Amino acid sequence: MRKLLLGSWLLILLFCLPALAQDVAVSGRVTSSDDGSALPGVSVQVKGTTRGATTDANGNYRVSASANSRLVFSFIGFSSQEVAIGNRSTVNITLQADATNLGEVVVTGYGGTVNRREFTGASSKVSGAAVSNLPVGSFDKALAGRAAGVQVTSANGVPGGAIQIRIRGVGSISAGSDPLYVVDGVQLNTSNNSSFTSSNPLSFLNPSDIESIEILKDAAAASIYGSQAANGVVLVTTKRGKAGKTQITFNYFKGIADPIKQLDVLNTQEWIQLRTENLVNAGTAADVARSSVLSTLRLPTSLTDADIAALPTYDWQKAAFRQGQTDNYEIGMNGGNEKTRFYVSGSYYTQSANVINVNFKRGTLNSTLTHQINSKLSIDQTLKLSTITSNGQFGGPNGGSFLGAAAFSSPLILPSVAIYNADGSYNGTPALGGIPGILNQNIIQVSELNTIRADINQFVGSLALNYKVTDNLTIRPFVSLDYRSVRGRNFSDPRTADGINVRGRVQDQFNENKNFLTNVTANYNKEIGKSDFGLLLGAEYRSDINENLLTNITNVPTPDFKYASAAALPVSIGGTWTGYRKGSVFGNLKYNFNKKYDLSLIGRLDGSSRFGANNRFGFFPSISGAWLISEESFLKGGRYVSDLKLRASFGTTGNDQLGSLFNAANFPGLGLVNPGFDYNGAAGFAPSQLANPDLKWETNQTANIGLDFGFFGNRITGSVDVFQRTSKDLLLPFNLPFTSGYSSISRNAGEVQNRGLEVELNTVNVRAGQFQWKSSFNITTIQNKVTKLYPGIVPLNNPDSTILLTYTDFYGVGRNAILGRPLQPQYTTDYAGVNPATGRAMFYDYAGNITYRPLIPRDQKYFGTELPKFYGGFNNTIVYGGLSLDFLIQFDYGRRSFNTQTSFLAENAGRNFNALQSTYDRRWQKAGDITDVPRAYNANVEPNSVSGLGGTRTLEDASYLRLKQITLNYDVPAAISSRIKASKARIYIQAANLITVTKWTSYDPEFLNFGSGNSGLVPNSKTYQAGVNVTF
Amino acid sequence: MRTLKSIILSTSLLTVSLLAVTACKNSEFLEVTPRSQGDSQIALTTAEGVDAAVNGIYDRLQNVVLYGRDMLAVSEALSDNAQFTNKSGRLANENRNIQNNTFGTATAAGATWQSAYFAINQANLILDNIGGVAFADTAQRNRLQGQAYFLRALLYHDLSRIYAYDPGVAVATQDRGGVPLLLVGVADQSKITLPARPAVADVYKQIYADLQSSIASFSRTNANAPAYGNRQAAQALFSRVALYNKDYATAVKYATDAIAGTIKLSPNASYVGGWRAPQNPESLFEIQYIVAENIGVNTSLQTTYTTLVRTGDRTATGGFGDLVPTTAFINDLEAEKSATGTVLDIRRQLYELGTAGRGAAFIECTKFLGRNGTINLDNIPVIRVSELYLNRAEANYNLGNTTEALADLNVIRQRCGLPASTVTGAPLLAEIMRQERLEFGFEGHRWFDLKRTGQNVVKAAAQGGGLVYTDNRILAPIPVNELSTNKSIQQNFGY
Repeated sequence: MRKLLLGSWLLILLFCLPALAQDVAVSGRVTSSDDGSALPGVSVQVKGTTRGATTDANGNYRVSASANSRLVFSFIGFSSQEVAIGNRSTVNITLQADATNLGEVVVTGYGGTVNRREFTGASSKVSGAAVSNLPVGSFDKALAGRAAGVQVTSANGVPGGAIQIRIRGVGSISAGSDPLYVVDGVQLNTSNNSSFTSSNPLSFLNPSDIESIEILKDAAAASIYGSQAANGVVLVTTKRGKAGKTQITFNYFKGIADPIKQLDVLNTQEWIQLRTENLVNAGTAADVARSSVLSTLRLPTSLTDADIAALPTYDWQKAAFRQGQTDNYEIGMNGGNEKTRFYVSGSYYTQSANVINVNFKRGTLNSTLTHQINSKLSIDQTLKLSTITSNGQFGGPNGGSFLGAAAFSSPLILPSVAIYNADGSYNGTPALGGIPGILNQNIIQVSELNTIRADINQFVGSLALNYKVTDNLTIRPFVSLDYRSVRGRNFSDPRTADGINVRGRVQDQFNENKNFLTNVTANYNKEIGKSDFGLLLGAEYRSDINENLLTNITNVPTPDFKYASAAALPVSIGGTWTGYRKGSVFGNLKYNFNKKYDLSLIGRLDGSSRFGANNRFGFFPSISGAWLISEESFLKGGRYVSDLKLRASFGTTGNDQLGSLFNAANFPGLGLVNPGFDYNGAAGFAPSQLANPDLKWETNQTANIGLDFGFFGNRITGSVDVFQRTSKDLLLPFNLPFTSGYSSISRNAGEVQNRGLEVELNTVNVRAGQFQWKSSFNITTIQNKVTKLYPGIVPLNNPDSTILLTYTDFYGVGRNAILGRPLQPQYTTDYAGVNPATGRAMFYDYAGNITYRPLIPRDQKYFGTELPKFYGGFNNTIVYGGLSLDFLIQFDYGRRSFNTQTSFLAENAGRNFNALQSTYDRRWQKAGDITDVPRAYNANVEPNSVSGLGGTRTLEDASYLRLKQITLNYDVPAAISSRIKASKARIYIQAANLITVTKWTSYDPEFLNFGSGNSGLVPNSKTYQAGVNVTF
Repeated sequence: MRTLKSIILSTSLLTVSLLAVTACKNSEFLEVTPRSQGDSQIALTTAEGVDAAVNGIYDRLQNVVLYGRDMLAVSEALSDNAQFTNKSGRLANENRNIQNNTFGTATAAGATWQSAYFAINQANLILDNIGGVAFADTAQRNRLQGQAYFLRALLYHDLSRIYAYDPGVAVATQDRGGVPLLLVGVADQSKITLPARPAVADVYKQIYADLQSSIASFSRTNANAPAYGNRQAAQALFSRVALYNKDYATAVKYATDAIAGTIKLSPNASYVGGWRAPQNPESLFEIQYIVAENIGVNTSLQTTYTTLVRTGDRTATGGFGDLVPTTAFINDLEAEKSATGTVLDIRRQLYELGTAGRGAAFIECTKFLGRNGTINLDNIPVIRVSELYLNRAEANYNLGNTTEALADLNVIRQRCGLPASTVTGAPLLAEIMRQERLEFGFEGHRWFDLKRTGQNVVKAAAQGGGLVYTDNRILAPIPVNELSTNKSIQQNFGY
């Protein structure tokens, strides 16, 4: 098939014959309604054909068209206009500036764009400007709060770290829930292959290079992408060159990042008292307990109370957290003439996190070139190169970890322990026995001496040939390559706890991903009377291959030797290969009648090697329609309603993210034996997976009804969408009895429903002279429910007879799915507080009676979900002359999550960890105390009880409202900027995450739902920055 | 003209698309074969494949939830030998016999059951297929077959003593039977069965059969000992299984057979040194670990038992030392002293004061001390020659052959530097059991020895206060997964 597609290139070249047009020439000038200035780069298209032109630097265009045709003028940020040419040879146009209304252009994939007026699907657009110049490593992080139906969660605050985007809820149980990302037509591989650091495959792209982001949400919009579209599609379009004078833009910003919060923990005296109390309560005599605690701290047991009162307290959090720095340098050039246009840019971005030794550096080079070979042929070429170096903390790609992570350990280390010795050296190195307490590593030493790093090199390039066969037909062959290599390093210094006993450890990773894509599309447009037809046909082939090499070698001579050659004792070497292929054909038929009624039919046939032998091909159709009510005579020209459009769609999309994100398991249907079950130095294997030849994609059926509106001359615009997304054939691990030799087999059986309402509202609140205040608000509410698990799951032995399935999700997180409940449920026992008489932790049993030993599963219940009830954002822009203020408030309500970071601190020194001041203050101390914190008890479990930290006690409300971003821009007046020969100059200052309102008691509520908890994650930070942007 | 051309082109494109689809459907274009995993259909069709599959069973035994830690350390934690130190918090719940905290729990509820049955399925698949595989060397076939039988017997016995009552001491009102017996490998979905729990006697019958097949398959040389299953180890395991089964004559027979084998009891002079060598010279079967298989600082036996990095050096702190001997255990080791007050028992040398690096120092077991040259890397003995003498002594005692019993007891006592004993009657049995406890301290025997003899577990309050034999916690719970996937299986009493 690859050969066939490549062959089609040749086929098309054969038909590259000169044009035979017989038309009149039309020219004119396009200006802006804002200030009457010329608009370069406006697309001028002859309606119903693919013929067109773009305006030059002075806003002029020239196009040939038949006299009875119409011209469509469109430009991002302006309403499109359509005019009949009549017998004119000059058509001058003033475009109305307005960012969000039915005039904007929707990017629909496979090189297509459509005026929103005619678009029948549900999509949201975010401009490149909204996601650039922010202290984030990747654009996806900046989408939070920007678009309805799009939920963005940071896995952690690592710069350039992992992000999770969920479009219209979670529609998968054990398969992946990530949208498909397409950048300039390149379908990206976004699996996270970095073994040692948290990384984000989208961070290769400098957000400033982005022109716009289109988020396709319903089946009508997304089903052209077939089996990859179930979780939505994010289409990124980068900036293009504009004909005219070459513009050179410099952009620089500098910022600082402060921790959002530090945890209030005990001082030395309180800890000694609390730990002693733990031992005494557990039956140790007071004097024995006191000396035991002192000896744990390696203090003389002879200390008097006065000596203890004089002991110092050390602030480990202060040593672990720091002020981060951000620097961003960019230069961009764009220009060209009618035949050739280019956009080239380069950037260098560095960001250090608010935790020591965590940072991110990225250099990018980006070029796009458009060249008109002749009137029939043009080429589009894009190339993006990036190199990233990120230093991280001990932990998995999701970020979470325990002892080795400074964010986790620093509040838990015992407060009497010094960080440095008097001479400035590290206290308590492993060579000297470590530091006292369970966390016996000096985390500052560990963080500073060990190296955990990833170097990620990526290039994403594409080449497309546009062949205009006739005015009605364009054929476009396209090839792209998305290549990424991850060079990971993990060096455990021989002076640290992980390294000392093996005399240092060097681990290296090399991961290469090659994602090749080619397709051919044909676009045919025809206008017959009042009818407009459009037909897209295409065929596509994709091959994605990943290879990984991992080495682990110990014993370096001294800490100065940090590379594998210096290490004497190889521990392990691992290499793996995985890959898949996909072949597809697709088509889209569009019909418009009388500029009022639109109908769109889409179908895609996808075959994938990931699917089982009996189900290799899936078909994904959709149908959608729109009615532009405001064009009807009863509304047209009315004073109040400027635009009104009703949309409806129904269709199916597929999800092919079967297997696992981190292992990129592309063989979910095969019977496999896994290697690595070696013994005594000889190779071994063991069965790992039972074959299921019927395994196939997951199917999503989405119904959507939407209303787009504009009132009062489009001063109020927006959309309301209601949808029902039914996800069927969901991959479920059918749990097998372990006696079968397997724990589960994957079958398509589950069903999840997401029902939701999305509202996007944009208003121009004030427009008075130089003063303008605009708002945009979006909110999404989704009800998620598991409607089907597989039959035969034995109900839990509790009064609810709960049908519960335990599984490991695509991201490696162990979860439960409960029939009739939302996904990601919190299912646990009900903490009932503290017995005021004894201080023991109490729980409710199934009947609501108090018990000290709740039974599992008998006494477990559902206590909410990690999925939000609603989320959204509220953005405001206030402009006065050259001054503009922009601020975004983002909110997320209704998530409930276990706080795994503070649950250790909530132990109240039941083990040798520090404790939270608040749980210390609230703990039960004497009969009659009414509190929610049980008495301190060594090892946290009183006799004949369960742990006092169990059940709902550490389950918290992770809702938050956050002033995500506030920016003040100042456009330097031309009179001043012209002195440095600049055509435009802008200065800006900005702050992010300035205010957070939440009940969450750990560092940050934003990073909790990606992994299995929040312990050890580098939290997000408060950032402040200032920048300057000059265009010559 | 234009129309014609667009028709030609559209037709061409459509043809290309159709060809593409046809190509997809008819060719193997969408077949991608895994390269770093294998196809289960062809895995067991060659001698090399069977060999690799047998290694795969040993690999399971290395798992933390089997011999990597739990078969030894959890067993000690549950028993009256050990106390938890709370230095990492691990095994504290097991040591206090808290409900549901047992073998495998620390990894995942039921993980020991899971690993054992996965390994049994591997053995079953090998035994199902080995007959059809061509071996150039028949001895290799016999050796691999013998190992598969041996390992299946070992695993069924371990499962049975964890999850079921031992023969003859069942608490009748609480007895829910033995562990499910699966003897056919599952290679595809159609082979999955939902087994019920057979009588314990049936399980033992199967173990006997497997051990007999195993002994018959193995050659008389012990070339593969102690890393792999071998004839002498199979005989030794048989003596253990028969002792559990109160089948004393068989226990005596196989103990005697095994004692006659090439691996001999370590003498006094090299006994302690044997515990410092990578392989214990008297191991009949010992799970081997190479550098890449290091269990690491959290759950290896070394870190579980001691904070020391090396013997005699209290300045370097290595592991956590989560589980240490009770004072009573140490006192028992020290009970017999010379006239000058020196402790006679050389096994006391295997216990020493740990570091204070992670809190108060305790006397810790040092049988696992990175003997393979790297911290946390130790080979783990499953069955040693010493056990044969104690098995035979106990069996002979129960057969009324007290002279023979006393003789075997004294082999062990004298080897350890203790004077020969002359006790008779019940004190003789008590002394055999005491030597069993001291000899296999921290090797995972004590809990099972108490259980198979129906005794209460007496512990101090700090270690949870112990269990009477009728307590449901004497048996581990069947994993919830089995109950929810298999209606035929019954949970143990009290869970």
